[in-house]
Amino acid sequence: MTTNAPEPLLALSNVNTFYGQAQVHFDLSITVARGHIVCLLGGNASGKSTTMKIILGLVKPRSGEVMFDGASLIGLTTPQIVRRGISSVPEARRLFADMSVRENILMGAFVRNDRDAVAQDLDKMLTLFPKLGQRLSQRAGSLSGGEQQMVAMARALMSRPRMIVMDEPTMGLSPLYVDRVLELIRTINQEDVSVFMVEQNASLALEIAHEAYVLQTGKIVLSGPARTLKDDPRVRDAYLGGSEAA
Amino acid sequence: MSSWLDYTINGLIVGNVYALVAVGLALIFGVSRLINFAQGSIYLVGAYIGWVAVVQLHTPLPLTIIVVAVAAALVGLIIERFGLRPLQNSVRIAPLLATIGISFVLDQLVMLTFSPNPRALPSQLPDVRFQVGGGTIGPLDLLIAGVGLTSALLLFVFLRYSKLGWAVRAASQDRDAAMQMGVDVNRVNQAVFGIAAALGGVSGMLVGMYYNQIDTAMSLQATLKGVVAEVVGGAGNVPGAVIGSLLLGLVESYGVAVFGTSYRNLFAFLLLVVVLVLRPNGLFASARQAPPEPLTGTFIAPSRPVPIPRWALLAAAAIFAILPLFPVSFYVLQTLINAWLLGMLALSLTLVAGTIGQVSLGHAALLAIGAYTSALLSLTFSAPVGLAIIGGGLMSAALGTALISPSFRLRGHYVSIATLAIGEIVSLVILNWESVTRGPIGISGIPPLSLFGYELISPTSIYWFSFVVMVTLALLQGRLLSSHLGRSFRAIRDDDIAARAYGLSLNRYKSLAFIFGGFAAGISGGIAAHLYSYINHETFNTQQSILALTVVILGGLGNVVGAIVGAVALVGLPEMFRIAAEYRILIYGIVLLLLVRFRPQGLLGTM
Repeated sequence: MTTNAPEPLLALSNVNTFYGQAQVHFDLSITVARGHIVCLLGGNASGKSTTMKIILGLVKPRSGEVMFDGASLIGLTTPQIVRRGISSVPEARRLFADMSVRENILMGAFVRNDRDAVAQDLDKMLTLFPKLGQRLSQRAGSLSGGEQQMVAMARALMSRPRMIVMDEPTMGLSPLYVDRVLELIRTINQEDVSVFMVEQNASLALEIAHEAYVLQTGKIVLSGPARTLKDDPRVRDAYLGGSEAA
Repeated sequence: MSSWLDYTINGLIVGNVYALVAVGLALIFGVSRLINFAQGSIYLVGAYIGWVAVVQLHTPLPLTIIVVAVAAALVGLIIERFGLRPLQNSVRIAPLLATIGISFVLDQLVMLTFSPNPRALPSQLPDVRFQVGGGTIGPLDLLIAGVGLTSALLLFVFLRYSKLGWAVRAASQDRDAAMQMGVDVNRVNQAVFGIAAALGGVSGMLVGMYYNQIDTAMSLQATLKGVVAEVVGGAGNVPGAVIGSLLLGLVESYGVAVFGTSYRNLFAFLLLVVVLVLRPNGLFASARQAPPEPLTGTFIAPSRPVPIPRWALLAAAAIFAILPLFPVSFYVLQTLINAWLLGMLALSLTLVAGTIGQVSLGHAALLAIGAYTSALLSLTFSAPVGLAIIGGGLMSAALGTALISPSFRLRGHYVSIATLAIGEIVSLVILNWESVTRGPIGISGIPPLSLFGYELISPTSIYWFSFVVMVTLALLQGRLLSSHLGRSFRAIRDDDIAARAYGLSLNRYKSLAFIFGGFAAGISGGIAAHLYSYINHETFNTQQSILALTVVILGGLGNVVGAIVGAVALVGLPEMFRIAAEYRILIYGIVLLLLVRFRPQGLLGTM
């Protein structure tokens, strides 16, 4: 089903998650190969965001395994997982609205103690996101949605992660910014950062992803190289939440 | 004119002291959306540690300040680690109740260690006053101002330039997002509790020195003042808390200047209620919307009530009804009479807090209104006692509902603060409205209970009377809960937005609940007035409000039978084991803490 790379960076295997009595994930298995962009597609309430929360340790699965770089993440707290090298661009950005743009970006480096290198990385972010240069001392909450997305991505990069998980990075953005964000995800990926993204907008996500999974009511119904899935007529059926995939 | 400058200086100095408490509350609220009702207890502990240091160890002033700050911080860390961290995943009301329990326990421990008698706390500073403009200022004023400014500066530097300070700010804006940056929220909580406690402890010590007196009643007053200042400045807003405190200090000081000392607190609580009603997000918030509180019903532990067969209830009622026919001691009857009176109050509170979800911390005010009305009706207008008590119930229902109605749009914690403030206001109005309530002297010579001209003086007749009244109220409330009205109440508690979307008028249903609850509590207060024959503004105090809340939680929020079982248990068991009175409050606090931790749904389950 998936790539047969030597050892994946991230592997969820047979994960079952519950919210109270309701089961959210049924034997969920996903792998992210080193250096790849993997995208998880699915409609509302398919369990996409919960998948992201499982990886970040914000929600604990009832059973199953989550391996990152050869070690289990089960039982670790979110800060511990961040220190292992996973950072995140949460749904709706979740910036620290009353802190300045500069402080927000630097919060991304919270787990690092190398001050000088952090300062260099901040400069690097300003070349990657030139627009933010003029906004550094502004309140993050006063930025436009697209600018906030840039801050969120810069913030995620500041921990020098090996993998970034992104929850609907293009949601609510103007078409101009959507293209910009996708381009940036590619750029980030070229610097050897793996990306796991959750998306509703399948056609856009499949353009930049290497592999993709389609999640429907907690089960993976389709998976494979993005190129193949893009041409698969079942993709549209599945992620629109139509009847059981054929 | 010089006195105005004095009042201004005094207001700012007192405001400085409030700020030390309020800033801690704001930090804690920012990070955990919790109003820490134990803050005043830490302030109390700080004052007594200061006393030990100054009077027994003879430490110099700078060392005293450091000792108090460190010791208080330790208390704060212990509270966070053992009192609150285990409750992280429980319902939203749990930590609030836990801080109330902790404050009971701490206050009582201080009282048991140091006795409730006031002690002098000398400031060790020379007693001189400098002329400034037209007013005077002393070295202690300067010390307080200096500590206030230094703390503010240190806090600013901490929040702005230290890594942990950044973590505190980030966590208070978005806890989950901060965790995703690698912030350890437990450490942030620790830091915040430690800082808040250190500031609170030093504040208590300074106040003790300012008045050269400390006593255990300081605790609740400090919590209340801190909460007022914090809410006025906007909950969770640290600079707002400072400005709110100074404002509160000035309002009080000028209020005292114009109306007299006994009006000090009245102004504080009126300011709170006005701000809560008009600008619930504080004076400095840009938006006027209601504060961001829990939207849906996770505020109260969901559970199923423990099923009790009807025959068991009937049997229990029958046993208690015929109890006086057996040779039981006067003491047992007296204890059970107290339980029935508390049971009526608990019925009222379980309806308001449990069924419709408005956790009231000022329920004793309803007792006071009922008691004063009934006492005055029978004394001034020679009304028959039976009618006077009913009058007390009606007055409590009407006045109680009218007083709380401006706060109907508040939710969660804010309801608790508003009810607490209204409770205090009622007590302060009773104290100050001398022409009607006889002020601090209280009302004596209240005629004993009587019914249709027959005086009820024997314990047996009083027992039956109060038992029958309580059972009647319980049956009425049971009917109410099983009706359409009861379902609407619970719908509002569980999800007020959905309830509104279904067309329920929140204000109408909240009013109905408070009218019924006010009536039951007013009746209880009325009976109590005629039993005690003497009442004053302190007869029905916040401690009783909290006791009623403990009873209701013990029985199970919203649970009618539970309210009565809880009352019998909390009044009866300490009597049965002959536990000395000074340990009782300690036990209530511990019971509350244990319940919140291990059985939040109470003995009989919530309904």
